[in-house]
Amino acid sequence: MTTELVIDSYPTSLRHHLGPLTIAEREEIVREIGAHVRDSAEESGSPVERVLARLGPPEDLAALYREGLLISAASRSFSPLVLLRAALRLATKGIFGVLVFFLGLFGYVIGANLVLTALVKPFLPEHTGVWFDGNGNFMSAGIQFPDPGSSAHEVLGLWFIPLAMTVGSLSLLATTWSIRASLRISQQWRAKL
Amino acid sequence: MAKPRVQTAYGDSPDRWEAQLRKGALEMAALASLWKGRLYGLEIIRFLENNSSMTLAEGTIYPILNRLKLEGMLTSEWVEAEAGHPRKYYSLTEIGQQRLRMMAEAWFDFSRGLSQLLEPVLENQEISQ
Repeated sequence: MTTELVIDSYPTSLRHHLGPLTIAEREEIVREIGAHVRDSAEESGSPVERVLARLGPPEDLAALYREGLLISAASRSFSPLVLLRAALRLATKGIFGVLVFFLGLFGYVIGANLVLTALVKPFLPEHTGVWFDGNGNFMSAGIQFPDPGSSAHEVLGLWFIPLAMTVGSLSLLATTWSIRASLRISQQWRAKL
Repeated sequence: MAKPRVQTAYGDSPDRWEAQLRKGALEMAALASLWKGRLYGLEIIRFLENNSSMTLAEGTIYPILNRLKLEGMLTSEWVEAEAGHPRKYYSLTEIGQQRLRMMAEAWFDFSRGLSQLLEPVLENQEISQ
């Protein structure tokens, strides 16, 4: 590609890869990068194409902006959907992201399950709880249909409600904070020094 | 003489470890560069080069500044230059200043503790040299 083509195509390509951002945000970024290119070329006396090479490919630069947007949305959100979507995006970058996504999914499923069973307990007390057999061995926990049988006895009674609610809520909060922290760490790791 | 490259058991070289350490401090360094007043992107890069040992790739700082702005820690304005073109200047917001103060306190507490722990390591090295 000729020098002129590189210089002309960089802002167009950057704008294109900034797709999910609003038009105003995209134009602001392209304008700022344009100002940087002029400043850096003037300061160093380097040709513009060398400054553009130092900035890196437009798709990589745009990806860092999009990730930043995702992280800042995730840092304000408590929505598991927003956070899992951000974690899923991270999962496309490598094994760390895949782990974050699946651990996040696991944390949300466990947390939601516990909160749900706590809410169901007052309506289905015989079918919800933690059961042990006559020898004191753990049998099962959660919602059971049909009930676990006469040999099993439910050990928590109505204590199940505050316990499941507390552990479930803590699991949801811990998952939320873990995904947020992982997203932030991931952006730091990808920074180029 | 060049330092020998030591490979750790988990395949991570000291150079890589140091790079990760620096990357972890990048957000704090970017905020700290604006403590005394507004700067634009290239000035922040040069400020960090001259006042810390952080040399950034040119494309690294802008997405970070953009995110810090979205998170309410920075504000920005376009300023027309007397000669040349407009530049986007960044300043710390009240939230950014509070966050930076908190980061600086945590950093100094952490590094003081760690320095005590590491002091004997370097003392032994001096003796052996």
